[in-house]
Amino acid sequence: MNNQISLNERRRKSLRFTSKYGTLIGLLIMILVFSILKPTSFATFNNFLNIFNQGSLSAIIACGLTAVVIVGEFDMSIGYVASFAGVLVTGLMVNQKLPIGVAIPIVLIVCLFIGFVNGLIITKAKVSSVITTIGIGGIVVGLNYAYSSGAPIATGVPDQFLNLTLVKLFGLIPADIIYMVVLLVILWVVLNRTELGQRIQAVGGNQNAARLSGIYVDMVKTISFMISSFFAGITGILLASLIGSGTTGAADTYMINAFAAVFLGSATLKDGEFHILGTFIGVFIIQIGFNGLAIFGAPTFFQYIFQGAILVGAVALSTVASKYASK
Amino acid sequence: MDNLIEQNEEIEVPFLEVKGIKKSFAAVKALDDVSLCFQKGKVHGLIGANGAGKSTLIKILAGVQPQDGGEIFINGKETKIPNPHTSTELGLSFIHQELSLVEDFNIIENITLGMPKKTTLGMINWRKMHRDVEKVLKRLKLNIPLNTQLKELSVANKWLVSIARALYQDAKLIAMDEPTASLSESEVELLFNVIKDLTENQGISIVYVSHRLDEIMEICDEITVMKDGKKVFYSSIGEITKDQIIDVIAGFNLSSEKAEVKKVENTDVLLQVENIYANQKVKDVSFELYKGEILGLTGLVGVGRTELARMIFGADRIKSGRMLYKGKPFSPKHPKHAIDKGIVLVPEDRRTEGIISNKSVNFNINLPNLSHTRSIKWLSFVNSKKSAEISKDIIKRLLVKTSSEHTNILNLSGGNQQKIVIGKWLKRSPELIIMDEPTRGVDVGARAEIYNIIKEMAVKGTSFLIISSDVEELPGLCSRVIVLNEGRITGELTDSMITKDSILKLSYAHAK
Repeated sequence: MNNQISLNERRRKSLRFTSKYGTLIGLLIMILVFSILKPTSFATFNNFLNIFNQGSLSAIIACGLTAVVIVGEFDMSIGYVASFAGVLVTGLMVNQKLPIGVAIPIVLIVCLFIGFVNGLIITKAKVSSVITTIGIGGIVVGLNYAYSSGAPIATGVPDQFLNLTLVKLFGLIPADIIYMVVLLVILWVVLNRTELGQRIQAVGGNQNAARLSGIYVDMVKTISFMISSFFAGITGILLASLIGSGTTGAADTYMINAFAAVFLGSATLKDGEFHILGTFIGVFIIQIGFNGLAIFGAPTFFQYIFQGAILVGAVALSTVASKYASK
Repeated sequence: MDNLIEQNEEIEVPFLEVKGIKKSFAAVKALDDVSLCFQKGKVHGLIGANGAGKSTLIKILAGVQPQDGGEIFINGKETKIPNPHTSTELGLSFIHQELSLVEDFNIIENITLGMPKKTTLGMINWRKMHRDVEKVLKRLKLNIPLNTQLKELSVANKWLVSIARALYQDAKLIAMDEPTASLSESEVELLFNVIKDLTENQGISIVYVSHRLDEIMEICDEITVMKDGKKVFYSSIGEITKDQIIDVIAGFNLSSEKAEVKKVENTDVLLQVENIYANQKVKDVSFELYKGEILGLTGLVGVGRTELARMIFGADRIKSGRMLYKGKPFSPKHPKHAIDKGIVLVPEDRRTEGIISNKSVNFNINLPNLSHTRSIKWLSFVNSKKSAEISKDIIKRLLVKTSSEHTNILNLSGGNQQKIVIGKWLKRSPELIIMDEPTRGVDVGARAEIYNIIKEMAVKGTSFLIISSDVEELPGLCSRVIVLNEGRITGELTDSMITKDSILKLSYAHAK
C-alpha cells in the first residue's frame, strides 16, 4: 500500500519536474546530440553566435507577444505589423526622403497606434482578440500593399540604416544580439518590477478581482497590445535593415514561431505561466532546432513540418505544465 | 424469515466506512488517521473549520485524489477508488456548492449529462430516458416540466435537480457541500423535507457538510467534527447541544463572547444614498450611513443587496438617483474612483472576485497598494522590500495563518483567504468598507476574528456596510440593519430591535 502511494507521489513529482525543466533538458539533449554528430559544423563558437544572431529578432517579437498572452489574449497581427514596419521605414526614407531619426519614430508611433486600435476594439467592443487581430492584421497587409504597391523597396536605402544591424560590439558580437538583450531586459523589468507589470499579471490572473481592486483592466489590456505591436515594429525595422530592403511579406512567418516560443516558454521553469525568460529560452530551442535541421541538410518541407509540430507540441506542453501546477 | 434477518444484519454494516485515512500536501497533514462510518438512511453532519480536512476527505471518496494511506469499505468490503468513475459506480455521489449543471440545458439533459445514454439502434432513446428521469423526479416530488431550462429554476430547484442526477446514477450515498448557502428559509425547509424522505423512506445515506449549526441540529442524525485533519468529535445529535458543538469547533467558548454593540454617536453622515434605481434589481433605495457605524444590509438572496453594494463601489452603474459622500455628490464610474475616495469592497465571491489565485499572498495584498510602495514618488517601480513589510504587517494584524507571505494564496484556507481580501485594503486606511457576505465559507474561529477586526476598526471611525444572509451574525455585529425585499427597503432595525425574527419578518414583508 505504502509502496503504491510513494510510487504515485514519485510519479507526480517527476511529472512536475519534467514539466518545469523538461524543455531545458530537451534543449540540452538537442545541443549534445548535434554537437556529437556534427562537431565541426554545429559545435562551433561561430555557429552559436549565428544562432543567437538569427534568433534575436524572433526573441524580440516573441517577448512582445508575451505581454499580450499574459493578460489572456492573442495577437495574430504581429507578423503583418512587423512586415509593414519594415516597408514603411524604408519607404519613408527612400520615397519621402525622411532622415532615419524621423522615419523610425514615425513607424514606431504607427505600430503603437495599431496596438491601441487592437486593444480598443477588444476591450470596448468586446470582440475576441483572435478575430480582432486577424482582421486588423488583414487591414495592415492592405495598408502595406497600398503604400508599397507590393514591390520591395530596395534601392536608395541609406547606409546609416543598414549599419544599424551591421555594427559589431568589439568587432565580434552582432548588433542584433545587443538590441535583443537591451529590449528584453527592459521588458523584463517592466513586467516584473513595475506597477504596470503587476497590473498586467493581475489582469492575467483574474480580471474580475483586478477590476475590483481598482485596476483599469481595459487600459492594461490595451497597453499590452501596444507593447506587442511596438516590439513587432522594432523587429520589422531591424529585419529591413538586415536584409537591406522593405519587403511586403518579409516578417509574416515570425508569428507562428513567436507563438510556439511563448508556449514553450510557459512550460519552462514555471508551471504554465507566461514569462519573458521562458519565451527567450523557447525562441532558442526553436532556433537550434532549425539550425540543426539546416546543418543536417533537411529539405525545406521538413522545416515547415517542424515549425507546425513544435507549435502544437508547445501548447500541449504548456497545458500539461499548468495542469500539474495545481497538484 | 431468513431474508429478514439478513436484512437486519445488513443495516448493522455501515454503507461506507473509512479507516485510518491519511493524506498530506507537502508538509501539511490534510487528513491524519481519520476513521468514519456513514450509515444507511442517516444524515451524517460533517463540520469543522476551513482546512479541517472535510473537502480532502470528500475528494478522496470522489476519486479525485488518492489517499496516502488507510482503507475504504463499502458494505463491509474493502474498496479502492482510483477515479471519479469508480466512485460513481460504487454509488457515491457528490454535490458541490457550485452546482455542476449546465444552465442552458433543460432538466432531462442535465440529469443525464455525461452518462451513457439509453439508445435504440445507436440513436438516443429520449423517450426511455424521459420515463426514467420522471421516475426519479417523482421520488423527489419535483413537479416541473422536463424541458424547462435550468437557468429558469430557483437555486433550491437546481439543488433538487442535482439530487435527481445523483439518484439517476443510482447513488446510495449523497454528499452535499453547503447545500443551503444560497437558499432562503423556505427553500431550506423544502430541501430538508426531501432529505428526510430520501433517508427515512429510501435508505439513502447523506453526508451533510455545513457551517450552519442550526441546520445541522435540525437535519442530521449524527455529527462528526474535524479539526486540523483529525476527527476530534463524534456524537449522535440527540446527545449534544449547539453550544457544545461550537465549543468543540472553536476550541474555546465563543457563545460567552457576546458581542457588545458600541453606541455610535450618529452625527456625521458619511454616505447618503437617495432614491437609487439600478439594474432592475434596486428600486428607490435611500439610506444614510454614519461615520464609525456598522450598518447591516440584509434580505433574501437576490433582492438587490449585492447590486446595491457594487453600485456604491462603482463596479456597476446607477440608473437614477444620487449619492452624496461626505456631503458632496458622488457618482463613481469605476471601482478606482471609489477606492481613491476611501470606499472599498470585499466582494461576495472570493474565488472569482476577491483573489488572484495563482499568485502569492504578497502579490494579492499589495495589488491595491502598489503606489504606496514606491521608493521614489514619480517612479512606478515596485519596492519588494516595502511590499513584503506591508504583507507581514497585515498577516500579523489579522492573524493570517500562512507559512510566509510568498505562499500561493490557494494554499490558504477559506477563512485566511478572506482575511487577505480584507487585509489588502487596510494599508489604504479606508473610511467605508463594504463587505458582501464576509463570513461565507469561513470557519467559526476565523469568523470571530473577522468580527473583532470589524468592531475594532469601527471604534476608530471606519464605517462598515455589511451585507449578509446570515441572520445569526447581524444582531451581534451591527448597530443598525436595513432589510431589502425585491429591491426596496422594507424596514430598518436598530440596536435591541435587531433580532433573527424581526429580520426575517421584514425579509418577507412587502414595501409600500
